[in-house]
Amino acid sequence: MSAAPAAIRTEGLTKRFGRTTALDGLDLEIAPGEVFGYLGPNGAGKSTTIALLLGLIRPTAGTASIFGADPWREATTAHRHVAYVPSEANLWPGLTAAETLRFLANVHGTVDEAYRDELLERFDLDPDKKVRALSHGNRQKVLLVAAFASRADLLLLDEPTTGLDPLKEQVFQACVAEAHEQGQTVLLSSHVLSQVEATCDRVAMLRAGRIIEIGHLDVLRGLVAVQVRAVLDGAVPDLAGVPGVGNVVVQGSTVDCEVSGSMQPLLAVLADAGVHHLTTREPSLEELFVRHYEEP
Amino acid sequence: MTTELAIARRAFRQLRVGAVVCAVAFGLTVASSATTYASSFPTPASRQQLAASVGGDVGFAVLFGPVDRIDTVGGYAAYKSFVFLTSIGAVWAALAATRVLRGEEDAGRWQLVLAGRTRAARATVATTAALGLAVAIVFAGTAVLTALAGRDPKVGLGVGGSLLYAASLAVAPAVFGAVGAVTSQLGRSRRVASALALGVVGASFVVRMVADAGPSTRWLLWATPFGWTERIRPFTEDDPRPLVVAALAVAALVAAAAVLAGRRDVGDGTFSSADAAPPRTAGLGSPFGLAVRLERASILGWFAGVAATGLILGSLSEITTHPAPASMSGMLDRFALQGAFLDQFLGISFLFLASLAALLAASQVGAAGEEEESGRLVHALGGTTGRTAWFAGRLALAAVAVVAASVLGGGATWVGARARGVPVGAGELLGAGLNVAPSALVALGVGALSLALAPAVAGRVVYALVAWSLIADVVGALVSGTGWLAQLSLFHHMALAPAQGVDPVTLVATLAVAGGLAAVATAAFARRDLDAG
Repeated sequence: MSAAPAAIRTEGLTKRFGRTTALDGLDLEIAPGEVFGYLGPNGAGKSTTIALLLGLIRPTAGTASIFGADPWREATTAHRHVAYVPSEANLWPGLTAAETLRFLANVHGTVDEAYRDELLERFDLDPDKKVRALSHGNRQKVLLVAAFASRADLLLLDEPTTGLDPLKEQVFQACVAEAHEQGQTVLLSSHVLSQVEATCDRVAMLRAGRIIEIGHLDVLRGLVAVQVRAVLDGAVPDLAGVPGVGNVVVQGSTVDCEVSGSMQPLLAVLADAGVHHLTTREPSLEELFVRHYEEP
Repeated sequence: MTTELAIARRAFRQLRVGAVVCAVAFGLTVASSATTYASSFPTPASRQQLAASVGGDVGFAVLFGPVDRIDTVGGYAAYKSFVFLTSIGAVWAALAATRVLRGEEDAGRWQLVLAGRTRAARATVATTAALGLAVAIVFAGTAVLTALAGRDPKVGLGVGGSLLYAASLAVAPAVFGAVGAVTSQLGRSRRVASALALGVVGASFVVRMVADAGPSTRWLLWATPFGWTERIRPFTEDDPRPLVVAALAVAALVAAAAVLAGRRDVGDGTFSSADAAPPRTAGLGSPFGLAVRLERASILGWFAGVAATGLILGSLSEITTHPAPASMSGMLDRFALQGAFLDQFLGISFLFLASLAALLAASQVGAAGEEEESGRLVHALGGTTGRTAWFAGRLALAAVAVVAASVLGGGATWVGARARGVPVGAGELLGAGLNVAPSALVALGVGALSLALAPAVAGRVVYALVAWSLIADVVGALVSGTGWLAQLSLFHHMALAPAQGVDPVTLVATLAVAGGLAAVATAAFARRDLDAG
């Protein structure tokens, strides 16, 4: 038995809404201190998972725990560990940003005030503005500041940067990194794949309520072919029979292809032809994503 | 033009259920009071006797409108339904207008509409046209049901009279719907817009009561939409002139709404407060504290309305100290009141105050439901406050407000009466005020159950329940065997103190029902999925 409970553990977690199965037997274990990327197209079950982890909705089957506490039955115990940022900041329009932050800090019970003030600066948020006068992105910042300033053990972030400009996106990624250094756990559900690539150790990919891929980013990348472009000194040799090579496109003395597995057989053939220039590109998470979800 | 048609169609979809419910309720109320009257007073002699016993009494005129033409089926039916149906229609239309205009804007959907090939002013007019269609449904339903009941030779209401009568009842929803369209431009949120519109409804109601208090103030009838309905006197005098005034008022109000909509920024209001403010820490310590902070203005508004109503009814009670008519019993079939005429007047006054206390409960239920529907509740419950505690806190806040409003209503009535030298005891009226609280708490209990089952419509359920309670006994008398319908009224078991004695057992039973509903609702709320917004 492990001594410290997992930050998040789910076993067979299932949620059905009427006939629709939003989440189908999710098994997930996220260790304390991990920054975990949670990916999937719209309607894959990402927000349902987070609603279950917050105890907002009740599982149809299976169990979930947050640092050992059942989020449905022991919601207030589980909530001690959690800060939550949804994709849409629905806040009280008549309260100012500062008042909202104070309320959320009181609700959560902990706040690092110095860090909060620093975050207000970094996110460039006017605390005296009322929520109704804030833009969508600025409302989102209120919740991000509240979540990071709470120094909660677990940050549940559900597409948290919708509406944020690229500069603030960088601030966000820096904050996730700081949370990671502090030993906080982060579950980041996102469509911004560069964001996940920049911040996450492990990712899970969800489709139709099931995990179809889970693991370290590097491992997942290995599942997909590397893009190779070579400019040769002479004519392009026939690459049809070379093991692991596919999708060959030849244009003059330039060849584009994909290589899965070992690079050696391709390099051997190309070296004989004389390589003028060679570039390889790791597949981006986006390509990985498209691969997984494009197929029917 | 096709864009505007689409806007109107969409708004109408939000209004049609309420419109049909209103139409059926109006029609059934009128039809049942006419039918009941025709069978209870079959001969001209019995009708003359009834009219002579109460006719011209100013106390009843203040409460229910003029009583002098109740020697005919039509006159009686119009009198009997006047106050309740016009009030229900006014409140429905005011709330419906602010819902389809300012409510849509609050939700951000109005901005989508305005992104289409239209302008704010045109879209506003298109939406009010949908409101007009909804009012037309109320008119048509009332006219058809009245005319159908009138075909019975004993009832004998003509088609022309039925049409004019239905038109007179359409005045309040049409005008107050247009008022709601204007306040939707003024207030910066749906709650402010609704509060302003309901304030206009309340003020118009009071002006009508004052107008009916004596000949010297009779001209005031022209200053209030309720007075226009009253002045039409369908089935007896058939004066259509107030319809012209009403149509002009609607046109002017819609034009004003369109102009205001065209001039202001979307999302803003003509009355606006500052966008920035130094922080105030009051009420930020807990979700309950925040609820108190956010609801304070609304609750104080209801208190002001209750206090004003109590003061006015109390001071108007002075007119009942003049000699009372000999026999009231035949007339007062609904209320079965006994005792001095002053007590009877006050008893009915407390029915009005009970309705206000129940509407306060409806407003609190609606606010709690909106907290969840808007997605804000998730943040309030994100910490160590459990959902049971949050729910119970909201109910407790509403319950305290309801009880305070009830006592306040009694106190204000006493102050109003004493100011005019009416001999009533403070304890008696405070007790009469407290007596209405349990029934209003049952409304809160029903609201709690709706919150637990269907938060999106919880507020409207309670508003509808209050409206039903005001007409239930009339409709319940329509067909023999449907008398149980009246039992579903909030106020059926409420003694109209001080005219009726308060039965402690009934009072405790009513409180038990309210408490039971609240307990079941709290348990159900803790077990269901939350709407994460």
